Formats: sequence, C-alpha cells, structure tokens
Amino acid sequence: MAPTFAPLRDAPERADATNASRFALDRTALDRLADLALDGARRGGAAYADIRLGETLREYAQAKDDRLEHFDERSTRGFGLRVLLDGSWGFYGARRLDEASIREGVARALENARAVRPIQGAPIALERLPAHEAEWAMPMGVDPFSVSTSEKSDLLLAICASARDNGADFCSASLSLAREERLFANSFGARIRQTRTRVHPTFTATAVDRAAGRMASRDSLVPARGAGWEYVTDAGLVAEAAEAGAQARAKLTAKPVVSGDYDIIIDPTNLWLTIHETVGHSTELDRVLGWEANFAGTSFVKPHMRGDLRFGSELMTIVADRSQPGALSTIGFDDDGAPASSAEFNIIEKGVLKNFQMALGQAHYIGLSASNGCAYADSPTAFPIQRMPNISLAPNPEKCTLDDLLSGVEKGIYVVGAGSWSIDQQRDNFQFGGQLFYEIKDGRLGELLRDGAYQGRTIPFWNALDGLGDASTYHLDGTFTCGKAEPVQVAPVSHGSPPARFRNVRVLNTTGDE
Amino acid sequence: MFLTSDDAKTIAGKIIARSNADACVVKIDGGEDYSLRFARGGATTNLAISETSLRISSHIGGRVGSVTTTRLDEAALDAARVRSEEIARMLPVDPDYVAPLGPQDYETSARYDDNAAALRLDTLAAQAARVIEEGARVGVDTFGCASSARRFEALATSAGLFAYDRRSEIDLSATARNKSDRWSGWAGAHQFFAGRLDAESIARRACEKAAHDAEPVDLEPGDYTVILEPVAVAELAFWALSAMDARAADEGRSFYARPGGGALIGETLFDEKLTIRIDPADPLAPEGGVGYEGVPHRARAFIDRGVVSSLYRSRAWAQKTGAEAIPFARNFIMEGGDATLDDMVRSVKRGVLVTRIWYENMVEPKGLLLTGLTRDGNFLIENGRVTAPVRNMRFNQRLGDLFANIVALGPTERTWRAAGGGGAAAAPPMLVEKFHFSSKSSGV
Repeated sequence: MAPTFAPLRDAPERADATNASRFALDRTALDRLADLALDGARRGGAAYADIRLGETLREYAQAKDDRLEHFDERSTRGFGLRVLLDGSWGFYGARRLDEASIREGVARALENARAVRPIQGAPIALERLPAHEAEWAMPMGVDPFSVSTSEKSDLLLAICASARDNGADFCSASLSLAREERLFANSFGARIRQTRTRVHPTFTATAVDRAAGRMASRDSLVPARGAGWEYVTDAGLVAEAAEAGAQARAKLTAKPVVSGDYDIIIDPTNLWLTIHETVGHSTELDRVLGWEANFAGTSFVKPHMRGDLRFGSELMTIVADRSQPGALSTIGFDDDGAPASSAEFNIIEKGVLKNFQMALGQAHYIGLSASNGCAYADSPTAFPIQRMPNISLAPNPEKCTLDDLLSGVEKGIYVVGAGSWSIDQQRDNFQFGGQLFYEIKDGRLGELLRDGAYQGRTIPFWNALDGLGDASTYHLDGTFTCGKAEPVQVAPVSHGSPPARFRNVRVLNTTGDE
Repeated sequence: MFLTSDDAKTIAGKIIARSNADACVVKIDGGEDYSLRFARGGATTNLAISETSLRISSHIGGRVGSVTTTRLDEAALDAARVRSEEIARMLPVDPDYVAPLGPQDYETSARYDDNAAALRLDTLAAQAARVIEEGARVGVDTFGCASSARRFEALATSAGLFAYDRRSEIDLSATARNKSDRWSGWAGAHQFFAGRLDAESIARRACEKAAHDAEPVDLEPGDYTVILEPVAVAELAFWALSAMDARAADEGRSFYARPGGGALIGETLFDEKLTIRIDPADPLAPEGGVGYEGVPHRARAFIDRGVVSSLYRSRAWAQKTGAEAIPFARNFIMEGGDATLDDMVRSVKRGVLVTRIWYENMVEPKGLLLTGLTRDGNFLIENGRVTAPVRNMRFNQRLGDLFANIVALGPTERTWRAAGGGGAAAAPPMLVEKFHFSSKSSGV
C-alpha cells in the first residue's frame, strides 16, 4: 500500500499505429511539462503524483425549423496535477499549458494537500499500479472535425425539413462532436498518450394540437457513439426524421395508456438508460462507500453483498468493458493509468452481484488488491473520480428474437426510446418514460399508445426479467452526459442490450387522461 | 484566471479591431474555483482550478460563426477569429438574424466580496471541520462539500457595447446519516458574501435531522398535505420558471400556451400568494446585471400574485414577434409570507415535512408534470407535531396544481444552489395540500 517513486516500466505499446497522426499537440513539449510537474511534486515531498495534460475539441451546431441557430467550435487546453502528500490529496488545474503555470500548479497542489490535512481522517492509501508507456488512438474513418461547416448545417436543416414535411409542426436538430487528446503521466513511471472522438447527432420532432391543448414529441433513436463522421452519414437521420414527424403526429391521437401492471418488453433504445441508472450507478464503489452521499447519492448495494446478492434473474449478466468498438467509454487506459483489460469483468453474473467498479485507492476497502480501471476526469482540470466503463446486458446465448419475446405476452406494452427518467439516491425506486409505447395483444404488436411511463424498484424489476433477445437483437446506446461529483463532471458512456421482457411491471399514464 | 474589467476590455478591443466581419462579439469568462469534499468524517477529493475562456462570434451577411478558445496569446486569438469568420461564411443565412447590441445601461448587482474572493482551501477545510465535529458530537456520520469561487464575465461588441460582471461565491452543504444507516439529514447554503455563510447553523441542522434512532414510518402513496422547506420550494419554483419561454408558449409547446394559440400572459394560473421575481439590486438573491445576449436584467416579476406577468424571450424571437427581449433568469426570489415553519407544523393534522427533493425530471412539459423524490429528512406530522421520520417517496406532481394550492408561506430566505445551473435563489417554506406521492422509496 505504501507508494514510492521507483518507476516500473514495461515495453512500449502502440494500440493503433495508423491513427498516431491524430495526436496534434506537441509531444516533446507535453513530456517536458509532465516531467517538470512530477519532479516538482517529488521534490516537494509527494509520495505519489499524476498529471493529465491535453486538449478537448468540441463542436456544437443546432438548427430549429428553418434556422441554423448556433454553430460553435471550442478548444480547451489545460492540465490537472494531483499529489499525495502525507496521506492527503492536493489538486490544482489550469487552462494553460506553459512552464510557469506548471510550476505554480505544483506549489498550489502541495499547498492544497497541506490545507486539507487537518480534516483528513484516515490517510489516503494507494495500491501500486503497473506503469505503462503507451499510445492509444480510437480507430475512426472520417475525422468529423475535418468535415465542412456547410455539410453539417445542411444535414441539420434537412433533418428539420424532413420531420416537418411528414407531420411535425416543429423540429430541432443538433450535432455534438468531441475529441479528447491526453497525456497521462504518474510517479510510478506511466506515460500514456491517448485520443478518442465521439459524435452525437440528434433531433426532436414535435406536433401540436392547439385546439386540444396537446403536444407530442419524438426524439431521434440514433445513439451517441465513439466514432467518426461516417457514423453520422450512415445513421439515416433524414429518413428517421420523416418517420419521427409522422409518429409525433400519430401520438397526438393515439390511445392513452391505461395505468396498471403489465408484462413489458423494453427495447434496447430504452433499456440502456435503465441499466445505467439501476445497475451502473448502484455498483460504483465510491457510492457504496458513501463518498457521493452529499450529491449523487449512495447505493442500496453494500460491500458484503459481493458474491451473494441476487440482483436479478438468471438471464441477467451485466458486463463491464472498455474495449467495445464504437462505445463512448472505450479507451486504452483509464485516468489512473489502468489498462482497458482491467476494466473487463462481469458486474452481475447470472443474476448474482460479482464486482464493483473501482478507481485508484478504493480496492483495499473491500479487501481487493487493485483498481479495475474505472476512473475518468471529464477534463484535464478535473479531479479523476470513479466512473463507468461501458456497461451492458449480455444477450441470451439461446436463440431468441423480438417475435419470440412478443409471443409470450398476452397483454402487455412494448417500450421504445428513452423518455424522462428519475431514480432515488440509492438507486432503488425508478420511473422511466419512453418515446413510443405499443400495445402487445395476444403475442403480437398492436396499436401505438401515448403518455406512458414504467415505475419500479431495482431488485424486483430485474428479478422479473424472463425473456431476453439473442445477439442478433443486440443494440448499443448511450449518453454523452452522465453527471456525478461536486463540482459536477459529465462522462460519456455506452450501454448495450437486447430487447428484454419483464413480468408485472407498474405502468403509469403520465397525464391522467385515461 | 481572473481578469479585471480593463484587462478584458483591452483583449476584446484588439480582437474587434482586427475583425473582418460585418460585426463581431467577444465574450470572455473565467475565474478561480476551490472545492473540498468530505465523507464519513474525512477528506476525499479537493481541487483548485484557474480557468479562462474566450468566444469570438463573427457576423457576416446575416450569419454567425463562433469559436471558443482557452488560449489568450495573440496567435491563438487571431486563429480563432479567422476560423469564426470562415465558419460564418459557410453557413446558410439566418432568416431571423439579429445584429449585436450597442451600449446598454446595466443595473449594479452586488455579488462580489473581497473576503469571499480571497478564500482558499484552508478556509473550506475549517468549515468542513465544523460539520465533522458536530457529527461526532451527536453521533452521526457526515458527508459534504465546501466550495468557493471568484468569477467574471465580460461581453464586448463591435457596436460599442462593453459589459463586465463579477461575483464571488461560497457554498457549504452537509449530509448526515445515522450510524445504523437508516436515516439521513441535510442542510446547505450558498452566498455571494463570505460573512453571510453560517457553517455552524448548517452543521447543526444537518446533524439534528439525522440523529434519529426511531425506525422510519412507511406511508402509502396518495395525496398528502406537505410542508416543503425553502430549498425544495426553490427547486420546484425553478422548474416552473425555466418553462417560461415565450417562443414555446407562442408555438403551443408549453404550459404557458393559450389553447387555440398565443401565450397566457396576464392570466391567473396560480394562487395569489405566488410571486416569483428577479432583481439585480435585491441583496437577498441578486440577478446579475448582464443577461444572455447582453440584454440587461431589470427588476421584474415573472409571476405576480398568481398572474403570469412576463415570459423570457430571445432577441431573435423578440424581433420576430415585435415584443421586448427578456433574458432567462437563474437568480430569483419567491416571495414569502408571515407564517413560521413552526406555525405551519402546528396547523397540520396529518402531513409530511420535506427537507429536500432529488432527481426531478419533467414527465409531461405541457402539463408541467414533474417527477422526483424526497431525500435527506422526511418527517411525519401528526396533530401539529413532528412525530417520526418517514421513508422517502416518489412524487408525480403537476406544478400548476402545486402552486395553485398554497395554504401558507413562511419568510423568504436564501437557499442552496437552485436546480439547473447554480443560480442563487431565495424561497420560503411552503404549506400545500394534495401533493401527490406515487410510490415508496427505500432510498436513505
């Protein structure tokens, strides 16, 4: 547990040499700044130090009806230095990359560690992670930042026009792009350079019945991904907008959901968020330990439940990984320098809780030896905290199609797309809306319904899982913006699943108009 | 990095002078932030950050391209300006284009205090220590976050506008949980002036609420008389306020839309005891002087004695509809009444006292139907007395009904950060009837 500064080096790695040219920042300059910081921390008495330096590029464009309302590019450069001094963390971050700022950063991070010492309580204890020297770049086709402004604005306006031509009164469409380029270095001797890109095209089509005082909307079902521009052009957004416009219009006059207990089949476009909220967050070790008690909350899951808790039915296996192609949390190493291979494990296995997600310095609290690679800082100037890798529901190994699932339902509801969501601070009581609800009658899909949401409690809900699609039905979804910590950090994460069937779930009519 | 008004004006002036666009807007913001988190009586994470961000918006032929950078060297700023001009040239013409604002008259907003601006982590650690000590004294575990900041925002346009606003902030929130892990309490506050933050009171209130050994009571879902403490009221009021967009109302996409068309301005939609207003000059929760797009914030009510009196309106929508542009507000004051919290409790035969709410989300925007849960201090009231802790519940509540059924309000006080962006709010405790709890939660 006692950290030292002796470097532990292994052979340099190169995950994807063909993408190495995507590193835009001056490598020599970054290395020099990292050396300056780590050397200064060591001379200042730090037992451990790490630094993240780099740049995040973002682009955001938004259209509303026939207008392009915004088109912004944003570049943020900076560093964040973390030092462990006499058992206390100290952190300093700045949106600058120069030697004077690094020197100031060393002094301020050490000063902060000293300031915190009077209330430290138990000293921070770290395990020793292997020190990697590596480069990793996300495989990608067309760099979305190289695509012209006019092509992007044309696409957004075409999406809006398509929705409005097919039933929507209004449509807003947006495109978010992000590229992170980071150098991570620590006093164990790690030196890791990584870059990844993600894209999120989306839209909302809205139909209004002014006379009836009613409105309905349908969001795009195209998920955010770790991908290049080819993902955006292949997503069929203009065609989907036409369908969404018609569906928003149809929702205005659809049959209202009648509140009651139903067998429900949840499409992966909706289930990803349920997985995220009920399983992803409840199995974060920092929450289990109480470190998020004042904000994001704790968990109904306790440390002693590992290996014993019956979380769901035997069909439920939840996999954590950082290597899934196209996923938003996919990366070579986490923000503590742990390799992706350490973040490949089952959280739930055949319904039983098997593992928590951990960052550096947490494993010893539950008698384990090392982090499993679940740390992330949403910018170089943010303190790294425990965050999710990609967390997904494994498909049924037995053949099972959506029709097979439907055939087992006499009276039920099929839920598509994520709507409003809410869950309690220990991840038990939840309520999820959706984009589209369909009646299931005698084993077949029926009419479109409106104004639905399902409500439940995590353990009974997952134990009510009795049908699961196979690999052919699997779909990867996710979000750019999972929030946690004070100050709030947002993290990208993907969740995959097949469609899944749950018995006797409470479904509400959200308007009371039944 | 914290820039003075003169520094910001010099940087913006250079960019505008070099601009090749029809018009140019420069926005600079930044500052320094400190934060310290603690859990189970000891420190977990902390940080100090220095940040600056500069956005250049170039207007060319009725099109606007923007680039934001954190680099302030001349080469980087020149590159950003040129790129913003390139983007603008490649965009389609905006049919609702509005040119940048010229000079404006801004009201003074007192939100900066040298004492607060000078705070660093040692002071935050002392505040956390007070919470930790109180927890140890009454036998509960303590968790929390202390933070401080000094921040600035500057806006300059080629039409001659220059605006500069600065604020200091200090913030402390504390959660306490009893040793059996069956009950929790919370208290918190946000202030612009260091001397106004009462860490002692926050520590005491959070720990008192958690120090219950009684087994929490389970209530069945249904409609209840509820007393909401000010922080819960502020969050609910913010949801009602944030839905007050004139364009959404005009287009029939909002609770504030008139059936058949138009916005419900001038209509009584709420109880006459409800007034939500903003005022840059009110020291309780001052809105900044400079609003979005540079439009000045003026003292105004959005809801005045139950009547919808204003909706916020972007400059583009204002131009299109021939109405006044009104910037969105993040800092607001909900007027109170003369009932004390104790008065309210005494008046309730059976009800629930709610400390704090959590994870609200709009389920149905047209009806302002909000869901969320109680958290960190929920208590049963019977025959005018708080008799027991009561387990948390999910609510599904129409805000129109909620704010139309106000029975009593207490005195308005500053609250912790309001939902949706860290604004400063002030709100009273509120007694309401028929608050709808839809299901039970075991979350503690």
